[in-house]
Amino acid sequence: MLDQAFETLKTYDWGTDRKPLEEIDGAVIASYSDKAARKDLENRLAAVLKADVSRDSKDFVCRKLMIIGTADSVPTLSSLLSDKDLAHMARFALERNPSPEAAKALRDALPKLNGSLKVGIISSLGVRRDAESVPALAKLVADSDPAVARAAAFALGDIRSENAAKALSDAKPSSAEVKSAITDARLFCAGGLLAEGKKAEAIAIFKAYVGEENPKHVRLAATKGMLAGAGKN
Amino acid sequence: MGHRHAPNRRQFLQTAGAAIAAPYIITSSALGNSEVPPASDRIVMGGIGIGSQGSNDQGDFLKRADVQYIAVSDVRKSVREKCKARIDGHYKNTDCTTYNDFRELLARPDIDAVHIATPDHWHAIVMIEACRNGKDVYCQKPETRTLREGPLMIDAARRYSRVASGGSQRVLEDYRQIVNRCWSGELGPIKSINVNVGPLSQQCNLPAEPQPDDIDWDMWLGPAPWAPYNSKRCSGGYGLNGNTWRSYVDYSSGGMTDWGAHHFGGATFAIDVREMQPEEVAYHEDGNYLTYRYPNGVLLTHNKPNTRNLAVEGTPDEKREPKPVPTYKGQGGIHGDFIECVKTREKPFRDIELAVNTAAVCHLGVIAYELKRTLKWDAAKQEFPGDEEANRYLDRARREPWQL
Repeated sequence: MLDQAFETLKTYDWGTDRKPLEEIDGAVIASYSDKAARKDLENRLAAVLKADVSRDSKDFVCRKLMIIGTADSVPTLSSLLSDKDLAHMARFALERNPSPEAAKALRDALPKLNGSLKVGIISSLGVRRDAESVPALAKLVADSDPAVARAAAFALGDIRSENAAKALSDAKPSSAEVKSAITDARLFCAGGLLAEGKKAEAIAIFKAYVGEENPKHVRLAATKGMLAGAGKN
Repeated sequence: MGHRHAPNRRQFLQTAGAAIAAPYIITSSALGNSEVPPASDRIVMGGIGIGSQGSNDQGDFLKRADVQYIAVSDVRKSVREKCKARIDGHYKNTDCTTYNDFRELLARPDIDAVHIATPDHWHAIVMIEACRNGKDVYCQKPETRTLREGPLMIDAARRYSRVASGGSQRVLEDYRQIVNRCWSGELGPIKSINVNVGPLSQQCNLPAEPQPDDIDWDMWLGPAPWAPYNSKRCSGGYGLNGNTWRSYVDYSSGGMTDWGAHHFGGATFAIDVREMQPEEVAYHEDGNYLTYRYPNGVLLTHNKPNTRNLAVEGTPDEKREPKPVPTYKGQGGIHGDFIECVKTREKPFRDIELAVNTAAVCHLGVIAYELKRTLKWDAAKQEFPGDEEANRYLDRARREPWQL
């Protein structure tokens, strides 16, 4: 039955019967405590990504690799990161894959891509809170593409480390929209630093945003943060 | 309240006035009368995603004399036009502005608050962006699509001191009898409650249909995986039979989160655990049901065989001190509660943190059913401790260029 389900993937597409694929759905979940079976499934699924099958088949495979993917399927998935039709689903699997190889693949793709695909990679690195990507993201906050610069700022905010906060503090926004993203990411980082007891570092960030030149809700966030840092709320 | 926003609005009008070099006429509507407050004292609102539920919310906000509703964002042209006709007709003017892209609406400095009723996969992105723009937010339920989104939404609301309300009116209004019995102490300390709701959503493999000009399909999909247009995929009906977006996993977790937000919200309110999240969800293969355990030992079961919805097991022989039941502030149900809190800066009845806790119950259940096993949950760390497989379900990678 499982063989038949993999056979179905060769002709599967939007509008065809999905029922045969439920064999793979079930096998993926059932293999939780059977490493060998899971490895075999991972290899078979990754092989489909190299075959001449529909976008929907590859979409299905990426969803399964999101659950069981290891370092082994990273090379195949990462080869899709530059494919505008498949990049998102490759990230769908890679973003949730805890192996260091998955993070490295995303980092390695960063300088090779532009526009939305680059934004996607940046976003995934942020979600993973990938500390090793901070230097690259720090540079991208100054990117000439505002969408890339904004995404890098938010990703540094997601990483929320002291290094990420410093990179954001050093950033020189190229436009108002990048500036607002940096502001939000810095305030988010400051909240994290405060929660970790790094009051001085947090207060230094909040202090930068209490001035009248900032929007009211930003001033409010900064003032509230400073009061929290001083133990007054 | 009005003074809080007056400078922004004045600046906006000055800018607009300079741009069009036309006189600004103060209308009787702007000055108010015995029944309608002056414009400076009204909450200026916009709506984002106006399908069936959004239209209901819009109607409730429009009815209020203390709200001035001025803008709408929706990815369907026909919806935008219908909303504009409704709103302009209500105010007898032509002021309502419509947007395909919600970010343009959120960038307006003259808008104080927004209500969000997009499909679920959009909620977190829109809500967080609203907070970043200094807006108060009323967000339809289920407020989150993934577990990771919840704390980020709460953080954004708290960071900018925004009033943020979830959207289930049923939590307070539908389950009063059982809530009152629990909170009055009549049932003694509560041991358990059961919720019956479902089903889970399904994968979508609908075929491509010709894409109408009316809809911005890429924007409708937003952060969800790309898929070809199909009218059932994006229908906003309430059914879960495959004819609506609520049926499909990329946009919703189905009945488990849709009606689940109501039932689980009511149940956790009744047994007074709405301020916490469970520490375990046990999957029972025999009977295919769940038992959640809260840190205080109270149990919440889901679809327990032969058990009715909201059946409570208490210990009536033991004493439990009565507690006053929280309720809405202001007048006008959950929408009135939100508006009142926008004015007073209090937390609304369905504060986003409570709403997120309910949504977390739904998501934890979905994951346990998916994986067919018992899961431990660390609410403080927002992770399944030591469970690498379950932790993969904490979030779903968003389609570029969308991120939280």
